[in-house]
Amino acid sequence: MTPLLSVRDLVKTFDIKGKGGGVRAVSHVSLDVQHGQTLGVVGESGSGKSTLGRLMLRLVEPSSGSITFDGKSLSGLAPREVRRHRRDMQMIFQDPLASLDPRMSVRNLITEPLVIHRIGTNQEQSAKVRDIIERVGLSQDALDRFPHEFSGGQRQRISIARAIITMPKLIVADEPVSSLDVSIQSQILNLMLDLRRDLNLTYVFISHDLAVVQHIADTVAVMYLGEIVEMAPAGEIFNNPKHPYTQALISAIPQIDTGQRRERIVLSGDIPSPQNPPAGCHFHPRCPHAMSICSQEAPVPLVLQMPGEALGTHTVSCHLYTPGSGA
Amino acid sequence: MARYVVRRLLQSALILLGVTFITFFLLYILPADPAQQIAGKSATPEVIANIRAQLGLDQPLFTQYWHYLVNLLQGNFGRSYIQRTDVSALLSSRIGPTLYLMFFAILIELIIGITVGVIAAVKRGKPTDNAIMLFSFIGVSAPQFIISILMLYVFAVKLHWFPIGGYGTPKHFVLPALTLGILGAGWYGRVMRSSMLDVLRQDYVRTARAKGASEIRVVLVHSLRNAILPIVAMIGLDIGFFMGGVVVVESVFAWPGIGQLAWQAIQRVDIPVIMGVTLVSAIAIVLGNLLADLISPLVDPRIKLKR
Amino acid sequence: MNSTLRRLLRRKLAFAAMLIILLIAGAALFAPFIAPYNPNEQFMNGLSVQGSPLPPSSHYLLGTDLLGRDLLSRLIYGARTSLIIGILANGVAVLIGTFLGLLAGFLRGRTGSLIMRFTDLMMAFPALLLAITLASIFSPSLFIVALVIAMVNWVQVARVIYTQTISISEREFIEASRSLGASTPRILFKHLLPHLLPTILVWATLGIATTVLLEATLSFLGIGVRPPTPSWGNIIFENQTYFSTAPWLVFLPGLAIIMLALAFNLLGDALRDELDPTQRGRS
Repeated sequence: MTPLLSVRDLVKTFDIKGKGGGVRAVSHVSLDVQHGQTLGVVGESGSGKSTLGRLMLRLVEPSSGSITFDGKSLSGLAPREVRRHRRDMQMIFQDPLASLDPRMSVRNLITEPLVIHRIGTNQEQSAKVRDIIERVGLSQDALDRFPHEFSGGQRQRISIARAIITMPKLIVADEPVSSLDVSIQSQILNLMLDLRRDLNLTYVFISHDLAVVQHIADTVAVMYLGEIVEMAPAGEIFNNPKHPYTQALISAIPQIDTGQRRERIVLSGDIPSPQNPPAGCHFHPRCPHAMSICSQEAPVPLVLQMPGEALGTHTVSCHLYTPGSGA
Repeated sequence: MARYVVRRLLQSALILLGVTFITFFLLYILPADPAQQIAGKSATPEVIANIRAQLGLDQPLFTQYWHYLVNLLQGNFGRSYIQRTDVSALLSSRIGPTLYLMFFAILIELIIGITVGVIAAVKRGKPTDNAIMLFSFIGVSAPQFIISILMLYVFAVKLHWFPIGGYGTPKHFVLPALTLGILGAGWYGRVMRSSMLDVLRQDYVRTARAKGASEIRVVLVHSLRNAILPIVAMIGLDIGFFMGGVVVVESVFAWPGIGQLAWQAIQRVDIPVIMGVTLVSAIAIVLGNLLADLISPLVDPRIKLKR
Repeated sequence: MNSTLRRLLRRKLAFAAMLIILLIAGAALFAPFIAPYNPNEQFMNGLSVQGSPLPPSSHYLLGTDLLGRDLLSRLIYGARTSLIIGILANGVAVLIGTFLGLLAGFLRGRTGSLIMRFTDLMMAFPALLLAITLASIFSPSLFIVALVIAMVNWVQVARVIYTQTISISEREFIEASRSLGASTPRILFKHLLPHLLPTILVWATLGIATTVLLEATLSFLGIGVRPPTPSWGNIIFENQTYFSTAPWLVFLPGLAIIMLALAFNLLGDALRDELDPTQRGRS
């Protein structure tokens, strides 16, 4: 099955003005996103997950590597061509107040994608807008109001409406619920799940909050300092994390069910500066299982065996699993 | 820091180059023919052509410009078409009075501006503040020539306190300096006021008051020192503005500075002189901006050097 | 927009300023109906026996000028000239400044740097000198005068718009527009420009004060609007020699100029306070 989105060896380096060198925000990332699936990308701040999301849509130009969307190369297209493809791939931003033009009415905000891509006549556009606004759980009279008149959750619904109105195939959501109150988070997540089912959407869901990703993702990729350290189906990641970093993240998820007390793994040290990542495996200074090889050689992604008939693959980049490393 | 200065100086040199070129070009394309002007109304075409050749005006633009630049770098600003002197000599003899005027004008601007600005800030919202602000607005809104004429009329013609323009005794410069000073004070006054208001709101001022310092001490010692910082940068800009703007005042008061020189030169299409004055003014503007940019971070460590 | 207007009206000074502007604009607009005489008509009995201007009388409410023309009529028609040039010149200046500042601020990179370098270059020119030189070069039509003034004034607008554009284009809704697939022109006009409108408006108002003053100065020097077309500046220019004997010939137009410039300054300043509180009190 051809994946909907495919990135290979994606690298993004940001230059720092004046001084030499740069920040490697994304380092040799390769992954596939299958149709109808939800890929969760998790990591802390500085992990490069937001940059990865933007690279996938080519909102940020990759320094090297390839992006393939729906079987066709995206990274090779001219900017004007890329714009045309935008109707099939949309983004939902973290801060709906910042990402919605405060001077535009909700109606104009939601109609804009249709106008840009010249979809439908004026009447058809109005009809679509009226339909969409109800789908995201808002009433018709929201259309003539302005973003600042709404609550955070409602604003995010507006953002979602704007993102889905062109019936895209792929939606990259960058921390879509992180700025919302916890009670609202589940509402929005459920909305996203419903829409995924109704509109046959494919999501890339970026978040630092594993508890949220657990809800919605089929596959999870864990990022650290610009690299994917582990990627597996959601069940595997949460029940059987292999990479020490993943294990630490999972252990930190707040548990409500006290019968299942987890050992909290506390990592030492801070996240190193992305400008100067540690040699070898980037994680080794903080890793409770670090070996001598970890500071010398960067680990390559390895495919692991998964129990039973689990779908998908489990990849991890860690010397603990390198055959012959002595683990 | 040194690197920044060098970079800015290089940029300034480039800008000045640009200024000379554009000015040269504008003067080149002007319909008035300087050769004709010099030759006079009854000259024959041959005489005019002769003069043109003499002045090198029949050569292509870039050749003329190149000659001009080469001379410039050697300190030779060319010769005035009308007055038979070197432009550099004219400039150096005229720049003195202008600088003299500028110095005192800025002094007056600062004295008046800072004083009223502080008073307005302290008496914020009250009639004094409003009156002061209104006067500053008027200062900014009144054209120099009107106020010059007004001052001349009231103090020189009617009251005979001062001479009607000219140069020589200290009495001669009081009116022009005052005119410029009062008008410019409005600008400083408003900035001083808002700067003072910002400072008075700060926590460290409250601390001083809480410690029991008298209001005057609070204002003068603690706040003024900090509030005055933006003014320092403005002086640099002011110097720049000044050079470009003295034409009017010098003309009205017959003050023999470069402003008057420029005006005469423009009327008689004396191109080398026009070029010279424009260049000198541009240098003043560029240096003034550079000064302002350099001083700002020095006096206020919160401002970082840009670029 | 309406709420801004209402708040503006509540400020006494701004209100007064608007009244003054309306008054002068009204005079300019209805000049043919209000002016008692033709401003260019030199009257036989318009000069004294010695040939000097007449003082105010019941015949000529503000007296006559050096050529026996009615001062009041000339002042009223002069309002036309000053306002037209002021608004036209500033309009062009704001247009050019906004266009260049917007382009430089949004595109950044090489183009942006180039444009801003050009702006720096223009800033290095002594404004008045440049205006005077240009005005002397070209033929003295109203249009040329306005254009010259515009050439000198656009730089400040460009700089302000440039910094504003940069700060706005870093905001997330601009990135969101790009992610929707909006083209650059669309982003510039539908998203950036509306956010720049308050600033543009402030400069459209404040700038008129500067242009009016510049026109008056140029006309006073004899290189702005040329007589017989009346402009407040050239009325002063023509009648300078009489300012000791008939000072009102100089001071009445002078007062008019100050009033107009003051009004626009006050209005622009009040607008700036309302629309952009971060720039209070600065010029």
